[in-house]
Amino acid sequence: MLLQQLINGLTLGGVYAIIAIGYTMVYGILELINFAHGEIYMLGAYLAIIFLGLFTAMGLTATSLPLALILTAILTIIFCSAYGFTMEKVAYKPLRNAPRLSPLISAIGVSIFLQNYVMLTQGATDKVFPQRFGEAGFQFMNVNVTYLQAMIILVSGLLMFFLHLFIHKTRMGKAMRATAQDKTMAALVGINVDSIISVTFIIGAGLAAVAGIMVASYYGLVNYFIGYIAGIKAFTAAVLGGIGNIPGAMLGGIILGLVESTGAAYISSEYKDAYAFIILIVILLIKPSGILGKTTEEKV
Amino acid sequence: MLKLTSVHTSYDHIKALKGIDIEVDKGEIACLIGSNGAGKTTTLLTISGILKPDSGEITFEGEPLKNISPHNIVNKGICQVPEGRRVFPRLTVLENIEMGAFGAKGKNFHRNLEKIFLLFPILKERKNQMGGTLSGGEQQMLAIGRALMANPKLLLLDEPSLGLAPIMVSKIFKTIKEINEEGVTILLVEQNAKAALRLSHCGYVLENGTIKLHGSGEELLHNEDVKKAYLGE
Repeated sequence: MLLQQLINGLTLGGVYAIIAIGYTMVYGILELINFAHGEIYMLGAYLAIIFLGLFTAMGLTATSLPLALILTAILTIIFCSAYGFTMEKVAYKPLRNAPRLSPLISAIGVSIFLQNYVMLTQGATDKVFPQRFGEAGFQFMNVNVTYLQAMIILVSGLLMFFLHLFIHKTRMGKAMRATAQDKTMAALVGINVDSIISVTFIIGAGLAAVAGIMVASYYGLVNYFIGYIAGIKAFTAAVLGGIGNIPGAMLGGIILGLVESTGAAYISSEYKDAYAFIILIVILLIKPSGILGKTTEEKV
Repeated sequence: MLKLTSVHTSYDHIKALKGIDIEVDKGEIACLIGSNGAGKTTTLLTISGILKPDSGEITFEGEPLKNISPHNIVNKGICQVPEGRRVFPRLTVLENIEMGAFGAKGKNFHRNLEKIFLLFPILKERKNQMGGTLSGGEQQMLAIGRALMANPKLLLLDEPSLGLAPIMVSKIFKTIKEINEEGVTILLVEQNAKAALRLSHCGYVLENGTIKLHGSGEELLHNEDVKKAYLGE
């Protein structure tokens, strides 16, 4: 029973973690809570349904399901990244030097806009993911693990691993960390801060797209409102781990997923969504900087 | 090489620079002295493009720097070691140095790295340590080393001696001289006026956002006003 819940929790946690990374990366560089980030995830879910529906109509799904899924994923990631890139250019860049409240309000505006845009174009009723993966799976230490769950855990794990490598080993990744620590100094060593910010939004949106695809295939149903609740949960995960801290977002997401699934199993599933908010309140009261939050060290 | 003509810069409504003219020739060390709030740091930040001048012109090797973004100014060969050193605290020493070479895209990377480790052996010892854990003097060396990685033609140094132990101050000044002898032009901002003027070929005295005096280092060292106001004699 417990192990089963751990598997469910890890599945959910992996998804929260990769959404939370987008929040935390943007916060790390711009000190902006991008409240529209959850909507990118929602767009990812919708785009996946649209593209996979298209491939099904073309007959590709019947001939080669893996190919159809991979193409769907690639297209969805590209489209979501374009949305993320555009969002920053349109809604946040003009407010770069404005008081901090302004971009926050702009983010809420983008969020409302995207929800209504999807509601108008796709309808207010639930959409069904065109492919059912069912309960097929395998036994692992007497616990049922569906192939889809295993896939979600694996993909989120791999994405986090590669992101970690990217951030720590590549020139661009190091420049992102430098920019997060000191934007002015980054410009003074020749880093194009604007393009680093764009890359941050593109990566964050790409990760949210993957989360959207995975959730759409896991639950089979999406609506235009899923980005809101997922966004707040991922935000909680980011705060729990220490906002601005990438390993923190990963850890926070997984903890949140585990708490939700065990809470639903042992306490009540009615309160499934409340656990995230309880955690958010507790962490803000006890340790606002989060589990791995950076203690600000300054040397004069 | 670098020429500022009647440059005005302000922060919102406060005018920090009220029309300054500075000229730095290739190969020399120029220094800018003045008290707190005179506009020394503002001058350097304006040259680097972090602050936009309200009016006036800045040219580098004859080319106006107007509307060029800060990272492209670095690519043109103007590097700055800003006030307070601003080492990236959660990047290792080596990563800090690598970031200095960001604009140079690996050109002369290994040769420059060796040169910097030769200049500051302590940085080699500490290359895997986080920048924030270094002492003030070590951070200053790292900040200078980082700037040298970009193959600068002109190096802007903002108060390199601030907050350092006397022995470290003389080491930093010695290093500045060495860097200059290798062909890098230097514009130095200092509160330590005596040491700076001794080192410099020419100097400017900045007061309330205007250039009060300028002349060779030697001339300013013996100028009565300068002696009274900045040399404590």
